[in-house]
Amino acid sequence: MRSLVIEDEPDTALYVCNGLRESGHAVTCCDNGLDGLHLALNEIWDLVIVDRLLPGGVDGLSIVRRLRELGKKTPVLILSALTSTDERVRGLRQGGDDYISKPFAFAELLARVEALLRRAHPAQDGTELRVADLALDMRTLLVTRGAVPIALQPRELRLLAYLMRNEGQVVTRTMLLEAVWDCHFDPQTNVIDVQISRLRSKIDRGFSPALIHTVRGVGYVLGERRAGVPGVP
Amino acid sequence: MAPFRLSHSVGARLALGNGALLVTLIVVIAAVFYFGTVGVLARSTDGKIISISNRLREEYGARAPAELVREINHELADGIDSDTEIFLVTSPAGERVVGNLTTWPTAATPLGKLINRELIRDGRPSSARLYVQPLPNGNLLYVGRDLSEQRAIRTLVLQALEAAVAVSLVLVVMGAWLSRRQIERRISGIRHTARQIESGHLDERIPVSGDDEFARLGSDINRMLDRIEQLMNGVRHVSNAIAHDLRTPLGRVRARLDEGLRREATVPALKEAARGAIDGIDDLILLLNKLLQIAEAESGMRAESFERVKLGAVVNDMAELYDAAAEEAGIHLAVASEPAATQWTLGDRDLLATAVASLIDNAIKYAGRGATVELAAPIRGDEVAIVVRDNGPGVAPAELPRLTERFYRINRARNQPGNGLGLTIVAAIATMHGGRLELVDAQPGLRASILLPRATPHASEAPEMALSLTNLSDS
Repeated sequence: MRSLVIEDEPDTALYVCNGLRESGHAVTCCDNGLDGLHLALNEIWDLVIVDRLLPGGVDGLSIVRRLRELGKKTPVLILSALTSTDERVRGLRQGGDDYISKPFAFAELLARVEALLRRAHPAQDGTELRVADLALDMRTLLVTRGAVPIALQPRELRLLAYLMRNEGQVVTRTMLLEAVWDCHFDPQTNVIDVQISRLRSKIDRGFSPALIHTVRGVGYVLGERRAGVPGVP
Repeated sequence: MAPFRLSHSVGARLALGNGALLVTLIVVIAAVFYFGTVGVLARSTDGKIISISNRLREEYGARAPAELVREINHELADGIDSDTEIFLVTSPAGERVVGNLTTWPTAATPLGKLINRELIRDGRPSSARLYVQPLPNGNLLYVGRDLSEQRAIRTLVLQALEAAVAVSLVLVVMGAWLSRRQIERRISGIRHTARQIESGHLDERIPVSGDDEFARLGSDINRMLDRIEQLMNGVRHVSNAIAHDLRTPLGRVRARLDEGLRREATVPALKEAARGAIDGIDDLILLLNKLLQIAEAESGMRAESFERVKLGAVVNDMAELYDAAAEEAGIHLAVASEPAATQWTLGDRDLLATAVASLIDNAIKYAGRGATVELAAPIRGDEVAIVVRDNGPGVAPAELPRLTERFYRINRARNQPGNGLGLTIVAAIATMHGGRLELVDAQPGLRASILLPRATPHASEAPEMALSLTNLSDS
């Protein structure tokens, strides 16, 4: 995967670029808006990570805008120290695909990067999601584990669907909050953990193997075996 | 008292301004009075002189000169105005024919005009008003009046006016001094208090007596000082609390890192220390984010991005987010069903959801196992409300008003995790939406209501579906 990181702050740039390289990305780093814009427009990238505020007269948002104006659909993740909802909404409206506020954990960034890349190359979207012997029928909303039907509440269905769609990939609590509950704030309690443990008790208890795994300090992953999580020890 | 300087005293300036007005008024009245008396007197004298002169010329000009002589002698002897009357007839040669003047003006005297002259009348010097005209026989007829009486009246009037102006000037100066002293005395209390406050006695207040402008100003300033003192205390409290709340996790982070370094530096030990440090730092970031959130909500900057939000839906979403947590805590979380479609308000959905989440979180934390937490979004007149009510142990009424203070934690909660910012944020969010947070002792339990201005729904806005296939497949 070829990624372009446009970030002027040396520490953050190093943190992000090294992390992505260790995770198997080919990374190009750029420390100002003007060069960033040039690179973003003239080369082909799988992903662009851009800081919201940049020196050089071209800020992050205008790079995103320019890309979209030219019809390029490259996934863009915006990094920003501006944390308010307004700023986030502005970033997304200008064409960003995701927005992450500083300070952030690298694991969070990586999880979002991978989700973006998956979204850019979607797997065939059937009417049924299936992981091991767990199945979710998208038309009837029936969940079965093996031959046993499992009753889930509507919001739990949505949570499960999101986890299954991202099978084998780590999703963070914040990603779940946004995708399942449409919450763009951190409730700063363990609500998500409790929701997951309830879901886990419904789909994993009494079945083998366990499908929902906790990734310490990052989030959760649904899959037959606990997936190796690069970047997280 | 400070030396008197006009530029330093509003009272004196006011009194002097009024005084100047008064003096002007007196001068105008005096002028009117002067011209109404002395002027009228002079004009009537002039009229008499001319009419007598004309009468003598017309009646006696054509007759024998002896008749005119007799008439003039009669006039001078008849006792009417005789002591001021002046008559004289001179021959063309300049000799006196008849009259009571000893000397008279020479031939250069203008004819047919009223003139003032110093002459000698019956041997005595006299200041006179004189009218000279020729008679048909070549003689000159002088008619006039002695002015000394008029002069005396004029002097008297002028003296009276001068005295009046002088007295009023004295009164004006005295008034200026008195009102300056009065104002100075009323203001000195305010100035004294201001100096005290300047030197650090923030609890000093202006003594207020009576109910005049200064008393009202004094109590206005006192109220302002109360508010400022309250804010100062708040700020002081907040910075103390922030310092304290930052120091504890920082100390923990430092201790963990220190520990990691001191031990035999095995990789797992170092990792453990690093993890612990990251957790601690995450706590700090969280705390700072909350403080930023309060500051952002209190500055009210986001009002321009408000959209129409349906409160019932927000409450439902948050209830579904917290249902598992409530279950785990042994709490029954119930959402009262409400008439849909009408609970709209203008606002920021994320912030309102944050507020609701915070209220539910509190209720779950403090209501205790087995309690019920009821959520509702009722309409109250022009307002819509979000009500979170529990039947737990509640909060002592004395503590209720303090719940929204930054970092305030009720005694019972001090050993629970948390930082005492939750309700501060909720209150700030309510305020920035033009609403308010109401905390009431529900006996038993606590009832927290966010009251917000109601927005009318658009016709096109149908009640949202809680879950549909569309948003299920849209990840």
